[in-house]
Amino acid sequence: MTADIHSLVGAYVLDAVDDLERAAVDRHLRECEACRAEVAELREAAARMADGAWSVPPPRLRDTVLAAVATTRQVPVETPVRPAPAMTPGRPRWVSRSRWAVAAAAVVAVAGAGVAVVVQEQRVRDQRGAAVAAQAEQNRIRGILAAPDVVLRDQALADGGKVTVAYSRLRDSGVVMMAADAAPTGGRVFQLWTVRSGTPVSEGVLAAGQTSVVTVVEGISAASAVGVSVEPAGGSSAPTLMVAAVKTI
Amino acid sequence: MAERGVSRRPEHLVPVPDPAAPTDADALLRAVGRGDEQAFARLYDLVAPRVFGLIRRVLRDPAQAEEVAQEVLVEVWRTAARFDPDRGSATSWVVTIAHRRAVDRVRSEQAATERTVRAGAAALDTPYDAVADEVTGRLERQQVRRCLDGLTDLQRQVVTLAYYQGHSYPQVAELLKAPLGTVKTRMRDGLIRLRDCLGVEVTV
Repeated sequence: MTADIHSLVGAYVLDAVDDLERAAVDRHLRECEACRAEVAELREAAARMADGAWSVPPPRLRDTVLAAVATTRQVPVETPVRPAPAMTPGRPRWVSRSRWAVAAAAVVAVAGAGVAVVVQEQRVRDQRGAAVAAQAEQNRIRGILAAPDVVLRDQALADGGKVTVAYSRLRDSGVVMMAADAAPTGGRVFQLWTVRSGTPVSEGVLAAGQTSVVTVVEGISAASAVGVSVEPAGGSSAPTLMVAAVKTI
Repeated sequence: MAERGVSRRPEHLVPVPDPAAPTDADALLRAVGRGDEQAFARLYDLVAPRVFGLIRRVLRDPAQAEEVAQEVLVEVWRTAARFDPDRGSATSWVVTIAHRRAVDRVRSEQAATERTVRAGAAALDTPYDAVADEVTGRLERQQVRRCLDGLTDLQRQVVTLAYYQGHSYPQVAELLKAPLGTVKTRMRDGLIRLRDCLGVEVTV
């Protein structure tokens, strides 16, 4: 795979790769100093090609830009790469059970004497809640699959299996269905992604050993691709090793 | 003749890039990173023709190019503090942002008209040799031109189709009827040869 990434360096420098490939190269560059040096030099060479396109802009551009600058705040120096945050950004769909567990624990801590009863009630509500949530998820999936403008795209996984994306602009959502032939080795896990404005956004991490999943992705109109990657347990903040990518534009 | 032509141009039509510019641009961009608006105005004068020209070349639409150039130049101001002189020159940093934005714009428009594109690669764009001619014509008197001439035909085609027209490597492969792997490899070794010819060095 590293060989693949190295072969992409030229295309990467020329901005001739897609968003997922760019993310993969970026990721690799963080760990490979020699590669960073090569990219820096090739980028310098590529930028020189702009010399050949020299063209003086209309003078009004200068006024517009300087006026905009006068009212635009600068961003501070980039902070070092953030450590991966606990990996369920915004959409903890697969951990709803553990959220109930946390709630139950809190109830236990507060309730004192009435513990048994409260926990019992909580457990009933837990099961009912899970059932209702599962039903709602099923309905959403059915709604997307039945949308008049549904589009189906699929892509083989690198090591066997398939990921299928069914999405609807009308519903602005999609269903990602993945079934791998085998779980990743070495304790690694699958992670799902969408690419939004060029940035990979996690759509959830599978458990160790988990080889299939069906999940709903909201706001699919803003995503240019859906991807599957193999990550260390717990997932990553950016894809390490893409095993499939499905374009959704 | 050419000299006299140059001297009679209006003030804003500064023609050829000044070879002494890069070091200057480095210092200016660092000052911009500290919030210096006057430095930004001077940096603008140094880099705007390159930024606008490149974007215009990629988009082939002056009105859109102006809009994207404006975004890019404001972005330069906004993110100047992130410029790291150890990783390359200021000019290259700015041009990299410009190229990326231009390509993003081209791609988002291509996405909208993808079906038309699929209907026939011939309709996708001007034939590559015409483009190459146009490119080399404009690059006269420039070191870059000489160095591009030093590439093999295929290296030059894949590099210029990607850089000046914003094509992805699969699109380049389709246009040239060449295998994907070959296109990727030629892009890389073409750039390496260009780097060696230009004598570009970056110490990371």
